[in-house]
Amino acid sequence: MQAKEGRYIVGGVLLLSLFALFSLLWGQYPITLETFGAYIKYLLFDTPVDKTYNIELIHNIIAEIRLPRILLAILIGAALATSGAVFQAMFVNPLVSPGILGVLGGASFGAACGMLLSENWFIVQIMAFVFGFVAVGFAVFVGSMVTNSRSTVMLVLGGVISGSLFTALLSIVKYVADPYSTLPAIVYWLMGSLSMAQLDEVLLVGIPIVLSIAGMIFMSKYFDLLSLGDEEAKALGVNVKLIRIVAIILATLASSLAVVMAGIIGWVGLIIPHIIRMAIGPSHKLLIPLSAIVGGAFLLAADAVSRLALSVEIPIGILTSLIGIPIFIVVLKNARAAWN
Amino acid sequence: MELTPMIQVQDLHFAYKKHKVLKGIDFDLHKGEVISLLGPNGCGKSTLIRLVLKLLDAEDKIKIQGRSLQEYSHKEIASHIAYIPQYHNVPFNYSVLEMVVMGRISKLGFFASPSKKDYEIASLALERIGISELKERPFGQLSGGQKQLVLLARAIAQEVNVFIMDEPVNGLDYGNQIRLLELINSLAGEGYTFLKTTHYPDHALLVSSRVVVMHEGKIIANGTPEEVIHSEMIENVYGIKAEIITHDTHKRCVPLFR
Repeated sequence: MQAKEGRYIVGGVLLLSLFALFSLLWGQYPITLETFGAYIKYLLFDTPVDKTYNIELIHNIIAEIRLPRILLAILIGAALATSGAVFQAMFVNPLVSPGILGVLGGASFGAACGMLLSENWFIVQIMAFVFGFVAVGFAVFVGSMVTNSRSTVMLVLGGVISGSLFTALLSIVKYVADPYSTLPAIVYWLMGSLSMAQLDEVLLVGIPIVLSIAGMIFMSKYFDLLSLGDEEAKALGVNVKLIRIVAIILATLASSLAVVMAGIIGWVGLIIPHIIRMAIGPSHKLLIPLSAIVGGAFLLAADAVSRLALSVEIPIGILTSLIGIPIFIVVLKNARAAWN
Repeated sequence: MELTPMIQVQDLHFAYKKHKVLKGIDFDLHKGEVISLLGPNGCGKSTLIRLVLKLLDAEDKIKIQGRSLQEYSHKEIASHIAYIPQYHNVPFNYSVLEMVVMGRISKLGFFASPSKKDYEIASLALERIGISELKERPFGQLSGGQKQLVLLARAIAQEVNVFIMDEPVNGLDYGNQIRLLELINSLAGEGYTFLKTTHYPDHALLVSSRVVVMHEGKIIANGTPEEVIHSEMIENVYGIKAEIITHDTHKRCVPLFR
């Protein structure tokens, strides 16, 4: 049992590394493996480099441009897929994704407000993050207004209400925004992009994302039990309330940080957990960590396509939707195997 | 009684909003007993069970091994009592072994995952119930009877003495009903304690050391199956005629048309 799990994880990490290496070398200025080897040697051992290699340029491309972007793609893909898997387990619903509690709606509204009020990108990010949480708080509040009913259903309903509210508020912001400067900025940001990546910023946001993903992985055995329903989980000895609150906080944290860094990137949180469930079964002990790895690899691949397919960069949010929808249709056809 | 009861309920009242469901329940369960809770729909049987499992909030009227239920966490309750719900669908298609291993959660540390030993215990539980061959099957594809057995195996993997079952034979075919009752009987012989609700006086006669009859939120009879189950009680509680007959040495409850 455990050996099998180990093999899947190692396989996933290898795939992810392969994609990362490919993304590091391939681009508008391709770098050969040989050049890359020389660059690594130069970094590690300070080996003098042949003059034919323009090491300054290569360092610039790899360390300043491609590496932050690769790290960001992996982080965001992992964050979205993991929180998607966690939300699906908690709400026992195959159509649930990080958007369910209004996170995406709230964060979009926050970011748009930020762009309207300030030129400062840092403020935009803070606003996106804060309103991601406000939206979840509102969803939970609406969900808990009606007592004595099944908490999950009410929470999902609260999320739908909260999401609609913030989408409406977002429309107001768009309507009043300057149509020549702010409005296009908002619209492009909402399409999702990884091009803003800067190494220090990626590392800063990376820490809480990695921590919340690690937290969700550590909690994964409880998600199996939560999916049996609250009563049964309690009777088996699970502190359902605590697990639920911590899981919602972690998943909201991870997905709103993803929105903060890259705008709205849809479908990753929905399809990755489905694909993994179909491939290896529904047990969350393996599903959660693999979602993180495969989600990272998927977004990395999507980003490579978005950079390389056309001479201009396609917004990655559009691309994940275009890739995600056909995959999801195939998944739905086979969904009966994994979902009753 | 010298021994502290496993479960002790004293003067328990409960209401959903204004609808009173339990109106002063006194009842206890000792180690080794097999209690059948009998009563018509809406008499409060399931509510009582859920209160004992702390799935509903109650006043401080329930004790487990002499200690107030309110002091117990769910994890602690799960290390004394296993709950076997009616078989149901699970949204994710876990394998049978995975379902049974979930019974080990109360034995695991907060961050620990189930170890090899937990999987072994789960396998042994499946063996005890006699369904080892289902181990790798997806739970969702099993029949109702098989699902109910898997849930029973999960309770055995929980390694506790007291099993609480909510209408265990509900939805099973005739053969599986009787096989499940036989299994409960044989587990009781090994020293397991049972508290189960049932709709069938006949099943209460077959498998119980004590029968508790509930009617309109109160306990109206509490004693051995032979003492408790008789025509007047059936007429009184269910409003139908029935006759208690003796077959070999066993009593049977036979319903009659008017």
